[in-house]
Amino acid sequence: MTALRAEARVALAIARKDAVAELRGRHATVSTLFFAAIVLLLFGFALGPDAARLAAAAPGLLWLAVVFAGILAVNRLHLLETDDGALEQLAMYPVARRAIYAGKALGGFAVMLVLGLVVLGAVGVLFAVDIGSAWLPLLATVVLGALGIAAVGTFYAGVTVRLRAREVMLPLLMLPILTPLLLGAVKATSAALAGDPFGELAAWLQLLIAFDLIMLVAGAATYGFLLED
Amino acid sequence: MPQTTIYVSPRSLGAPDTRPPAAETTELARLFSGNAALAGISIRIDAGRTVALLGPNGAGKTTLLRILATSLRSSYGSARVDGLDLVRDAGLVRERVAYLPHATGLYDDLTARENLDFAATLLGTEDRRARVERALSDVGLADRADDRVRSFSAGMRRRLALGRILLGRPSLVLLDEPYAALDRDGMELVDQLLAAWHEVGVTVLVASHATERLEAFLDATLVLDRGLVVAISGEGVASTTPLPAGGPGSRAAEVVR
Repeated sequence: MTALRAEARVALAIARKDAVAELRGRHATVSTLFFAAIVLLLFGFALGPDAARLAAAAPGLLWLAVVFAGILAVNRLHLLETDDGALEQLAMYPVARRAIYAGKALGGFAVMLVLGLVVLGAVGVLFAVDIGSAWLPLLATVVLGALGIAAVGTFYAGVTVRLRAREVMLPLLMLPILTPLLLGAVKATSAALAGDPFGELAAWLQLLIAFDLIMLVAGAATYGFLLED
Repeated sequence: MPQTTIYVSPRSLGAPDTRPPAAETTELARLFSGNAALAGISIRIDAGRTVALLGPNGAGKTTLLRILATSLRSSYGSARVDGLDLVRDAGLVRERVAYLPHATGLYDDLTARENLDFAATLLGTEDRRARVERALSDVGLADRADDRVRSFSAGMRRRLALGRILLGRPSLVLLDEPYAALDRDGMELVDQLLAAWHEVGVTVLVASHATERLEAFLDATLVLDRGLVVAISGEGVASTTPLPAGGPGSRAAEVVR
């Protein structure tokens, strides 16, 4: 219990450090929010002015924008650790490797959650979708989706952070793994916006929960190997 | 002049030191892209000694320090710190080792105080806030504690990294070019730390080209060249494999020069 509390303290310290650095430097949020907005606008232009068509495509566009921008965000958060050997220093502290993973994932989750909620709001405005009537299932979907992207992104950003071609490698590695999450999140969002006529929302949310748990456990168990040079 | 305080338990002076070797390596080797930065060295450094690690660029000094700090894995061979295996007991080794690398490992967007507070939290430092303030004062950065590290000079960053070492209770301190980028006061701070660590029985392994400045604090020197130990002098350090023919005074003198 004491060890678990110590690990939680370490994870919170890392997440808080990332949050403070992000609030001051705005390395991840500002650029990724603009990127997400541009993705939404471009998809909107590509689909044309048909309001019904845009509304039908809104769940897919929402999650594509969140995933693309999320990849940028987790990469930026890990780049903080490349400043002047910070990652090497982080790896030398006498703390459990899974606590470091948990801290980085928690910081990533906070950024992803902000990103997901802002993009959800933008989708509501741009594509004239009523998100207010289904706010609770939509919130649950965004929370679970953000957690899954943070869990996967933290691990793969750790894989690629020392690579020169990390900006190319990170999406190549992350996107295939995120396919189940993308599918579950889009379906859950669609079901929530439609009022869940076929009673499938719970199943899609369960898929997201299972995905998040598997990725968090796998990430925590293996992240330590990524810290070794 | 900063007041230097060392946060380690003083050993009982005069009593025989029964501690295991502070560092011990067996055929330790590390390859980078097929090139041997360390080519299989077997050494023993007794506890409580201050040892200079000398040699030209590319001799393997930083590689040896990084392996002992658990920051780098060896390709072959093994190493122990305080009798603990670096791979199997890595977590326990990290509690005992403090390392000052070339890169300071600081976060630019955090203040000096926040950087040390973060380090103290991860080190599990007791009485964290007081120790952070003390460390800031010791390294002469108390008046810049609330400034972001982004605005610091290289020398100030180096001082802050030294302050991070003061937050723990290491039994082995590894310093890689500790005088680099420091002004005269900063160099004197390093001198004070070396003297204080020596006095309380902390083992120090220091890689530096400032050999004349270091001389006053040293128990021994260990000379590396092309990944091999080429000479040892002084007390408390031994190589368990034969040194190259010629020994100290020939190749070693050439290397150190």
